[in-house]
Amino acid sequence: MRIGVDTGGTFTDFVVFDPASGQLDTFKRLSTPHDPAAAILDGLAQLAGNGQRHIVHGSTVATNAVLERKGAKVALVNTQGFRDLLQIGRQNRPALYDFLANPPAPLVPRADRLEVAERIAADGRVQTPLDEAALDALVAHCQREGIEAVAICLLFSFANPAHEQAVAARFAAAGFNVSVSHHILPEFREYERASTTVLNAYVSPVMSRYLNKLAAALPADHLQIMQSNGGMAGPRLAGEQAVRCILSGPAGGLVGAQAVAGAAGYARILTFDMGGTSTDVALIDGAAQVSRSSQIGGLPVHVPMLAIHTVGSGGGSIAWRDAGGGLQVGPHSAGADPGPAAYGRGELPTVTDANVLLGRIRPDQFFGGRMPLDTARAEAAFARLAAELGISVEECQLGAVHIANAHMARALRVISVEKGHDPRDFTLLAFGGAGGLHAADLARALGMPRVLAPRHAATLSALGMLLADVVKDYSRTVMLPGVTPAAELDMRLAPLLSSAQAELAAEGVAAADMQFQPSADLRYAGQSFELNLPLGPQLLADFHRAHQEAYGYHDVEAAVEIVNLRVQAIGLTQRPHLPAFEPSTQPIESCVLGHYPVRFASGLVDTPFYDGARLGAGQRFAGPAVVVRPDTTILVGEGDHAEVDAFLNLVITIGGVA
Amino acid sequence: MKTDLVRTDVVRLEIFKHLFASIPEEMGAALQRASFSPNIKERRDFSCALFDAQGEMIAQAAHIPVHLGAMPLSVQSAIRSLSFAEGDMVVLNDPYHGGTHLPDITLIAPIFAAGALVGFAANRAHHADVGGMAPGSMPIARELVQEGLILPPVKLLAGGDVQAGVWDIILRNTRSPQERAGDLRAQIAANQRGVRRFGELVAAYGLQEVQHYAAALLDYTERLTRALISTLPDGRFEFEDALDDDGLGNGPLPIRVRIDIAGGQATVDFAGTAPQAQGSVNAVYAITLSAVYYVFRCLVDAEVPNNTGSLRAIRVLAPEGSLVNARPPAPVAGGNVETSQRIVDVLLGALAQALPAHIPAASQGTMNNTLIGGWDAARGRAFTYYETIAGGMGARPTAHGPSGVHSHMTNTLNTPAEAMEYAYPIQVLCYELRPGTGGAGRFRGGDGLRRDLLLQSEATASLLSERRTSQPYGLAGGEPGAAGENVLIRGGAAQPLPAKGEVQLRPGDVLSIRTPGGGGWGTPDAL
Repeated sequence: MRIGVDTGGTFTDFVVFDPASGQLDTFKRLSTPHDPAAAILDGLAQLAGNGQRHIVHGSTVATNAVLERKGAKVALVNTQGFRDLLQIGRQNRPALYDFLANPPAPLVPRADRLEVAERIAADGRVQTPLDEAALDALVAHCQREGIEAVAICLLFSFANPAHEQAVAARFAAAGFNVSVSHHILPEFREYERASTTVLNAYVSPVMSRYLNKLAAALPADHLQIMQSNGGMAGPRLAGEQAVRCILSGPAGGLVGAQAVAGAAGYARILTFDMGGTSTDVALIDGAAQVSRSSQIGGLPVHVPMLAIHTVGSGGGSIAWRDAGGGLQVGPHSAGADPGPAAYGRGELPTVTDANVLLGRIRPDQFFGGRMPLDTARAEAAFARLAAELGISVEECQLGAVHIANAHMARALRVISVEKGHDPRDFTLLAFGGAGGLHAADLARALGMPRVLAPRHAATLSALGMLLADVVKDYSRTVMLPGVTPAAELDMRLAPLLSSAQAELAAEGVAAADMQFQPSADLRYAGQSFELNLPLGPQLLADFHRAHQEAYGYHDVEAAVEIVNLRVQAIGLTQRPHLPAFEPSTQPIESCVLGHYPVRFASGLVDTPFYDGARLGAGQRFAGPAVVVRPDTTILVGEGDHAEVDAFLNLVITIGGVA
Repeated sequence: MKTDLVRTDVVRLEIFKHLFASIPEEMGAALQRASFSPNIKERRDFSCALFDAQGEMIAQAAHIPVHLGAMPLSVQSAIRSLSFAEGDMVVLNDPYHGGTHLPDITLIAPIFAAGALVGFAANRAHHADVGGMAPGSMPIARELVQEGLILPPVKLLAGGDVQAGVWDIILRNTRSPQERAGDLRAQIAANQRGVRRFGELVAAYGLQEVQHYAAALLDYTERLTRALISTLPDGRFEFEDALDDDGLGNGPLPIRVRIDIAGGQATVDFAGTAPQAQGSVNAVYAITLSAVYYVFRCLVDAEVPNNTGSLRAIRVLAPEGSLVNARPPAPVAGGNVETSQRIVDVLLGALAQALPAHIPAASQGTMNNTLIGGWDAARGRAFTYYETIAGGMGARPTAHGPSGVHSHMTNTLNTPAEAMEYAYPIQVLCYELRPGTGGAGRFRGGDGLRRDLLLQSEATASLLSERRTSQPYGLAGGEPGAAGENVLIRGGAAQPLPAKGEVQLRPGDVLSIRTPGGGGWGTPDAL
């Protein structure tokens, strides 16, 4: 039995696959934020069945440790002269036009940022030998100050790790948990490497404690952890390199989205995960895009992570009037407390309130009817705002939804148009609680031909965990000329490949299931951004072509540099197939819950509401319509057409686009 | 019809705000990724903007504040000088014709729809070298022509084709032609991206609608700015501070401002400011405008669009021939990067009297411009390195000032020590805070930085820095921040260097730049 478990802010989701029967089941438990393992163990205890269970878990433990600043007490060892590297960062301020904005506080205070005399030159030569005698005082400092984990980041350690290794050995011998930069991220640019290494030191002790506890409670099960790169890793590695698990849950969502869309026949999708306070969007062009320069809580993390763009706009975003008389939506959110006015405690109008008042959410059917809504309260909130703006309440409600859509359309443009992709070639895949209400209008605004609302929209991350392979990333800055012979590249690549092979084997991956994808980051000498290309016989020609595609020009005369070599190692797992269903024979009318007035730009329209749980494969209907599922609501706009596919996904063809 | 538009305004307006803003952002992403020089790519010393057919700025991607008020003057200068056809692109850097200082090269592309001129896409990037007396093109000069190649508005592209003559002149007048070519190509590509996106907007919404909302957005920003100004108490607020010197031994050079607030309108008058200087610290009017724009932009809370609407509520008077509105042939390299910071200091000093609970004490008040160029013997090529160095930010009325950050008119990134060593015969020996350099106060000013550079080749360094004599002021009883220092360490012995000047460096020399701290805010608590 394979089980995907995703810990979310409100719910812990379970997706269970039985390979014998091919059956796929999902269920939820309320999350237990103070002890996330409690909800997991409770949910797992409900499951019958025997034999070894293979559990893949997406955890928010590392993420929350950073966002809530509840990680380990960390010391950082730098090359002498660079004590303040972590604080100075790239010397820029976070907001251009805000006197009060502060750069994020460094995770290690100055008193625990230590220096040691040593210097490695760019070519790896030892320029100043390591002052080993000075290390005793540093170790003593850490012992005296109750340091839990030590991060070590010396200049050019990726070119010659000897000094970092010597420092690490000394601290490890003294019993400290050690994170070493040439191991965590052997790439140039010292601040980003130090930040990534410190983040690892900061979250690893917390993550290790959590995973040890979980593993101890599940002695008979095979446990693996979802990493931010979309692959799994064993609990020991996930604990030691916890920085690789910082986007564990959202990465599962992308793997799930890719699998669901792929089965449905769509390789190019934009994902749209709209929650209460924020919205995540991502682009999948056959495969999810990988970012090697992400941030968490304003701190750089440069290990490979699936590229997810987040904007602070969601169902709870507050609509308000600014000093210029304009209608604004967000960035302030009503959050979970007090929540939208309709939830009964808030006073301010939110996007969710607008959806209720526009008739798109039925107050009696919210969360399967378990949560009644206070429409009078929402009405009062919008009446106040509309009066301030001098417009009708209906315009104000529709306006709030349109402006929320404009924020999200901009986010989708950032990940598509700005990266050279035309959204018209993509399908919009909506998941998360609030996404289904906005997806069709958003697709229309971007000229996208269709929306896919997956059957498992509410448990897509947990599903993704079931579908993930083991994935490991290895890299090394080499800074070689573009004309370097292939034989030398192979020689430089060999140690990366052998580590990859050994670590996959240690995770129990059979040799036949191993795949290795070597690649290189190239740039024209003098540039500062690299393009990543698969390592092949035509590497230089491939680079010129890729540069032409990405930036509109290339220069075969210019010198090229090979900056980094990379290997992605994949251990293939046995994936469940998503079950397909026979066409439904029941008449579509039998799925209608009722007809209710819904407001569109054209006015009030009597609109059928369909019971999502009853809709079967092959059923189709025209918009306007609303599909009510237990945990989400989907709006099919005027002129749109909806069809339930064989996997019970709802596919909306956008009118006037295709 | 009017009422109809007014009724739909608030929603459509906000949507168009996003549509317009995303175009220069996309241009910026393209420019940053495709350019060659560390200065543009790593440090992001560039800006992109979108204009209407009259040269009013509709949207600017927030990259560098000092470019804010200056970009519209570039486009207007191009409009005055030239006529346009589809596929044209104008290049300029002449500070007296729409530029600010010579290294900032601006490219302007007209946008046509159905044969009619409907707007402009423009971007400006700081090039590491455009010729002149010293590598980096920011020498201590006595006239503009010494600072580098001057480009009045001329067509770099006509009908989509690069004009080989103009192209070759530019590349023959720089110490790093290959890098310049790469950066210029990236600038061209970024503008082409903007032209294409604007055309798509017009195709999707119709020209009339796009033009209507472009104008409406300018009005909207004006309303927001007036709303802010009307929250200020009416009255007259004055302040004076000074530049240390002009690099030729003249100084201090006072900058004086008088801000009159009355009925939602602000008049900012720099009467009483020193006449333009002999050395290259002169600011052209565009710089002064940018500084004023920046300060008021910071006071508005909301997500105000970056457009010229805000300037309608503010009148800026700068005496001709003064330090803040220089006339030819005065040299201007430092106006952009040093004088602009002091203009902000005097504006904030005046506004602190109107808004004592909002205005921070003086920040480091300099960009510590460090330019090093020469022959890289090991790599067998010429090199030019340019960097600005952060310092202490002034304390706020509610919080300490951050340490080691860029403040006000710049926000460029540093060059990583490891990137330096790969690219230049320069090794960073030390990059750390200067504890205690922030001014004392109830809230402390941020600390300055120390950056020590070890030279491995012969080279010429040009320094253009400020607050080496005067100190960033404190407010409400807070102490001033410590002044900065420039030091040459040769053979183990330290010797002071001037705030501005050139120095010949030998292999083994260490150039040590120590940047000022920010001023403190409030009387220090008695212990």
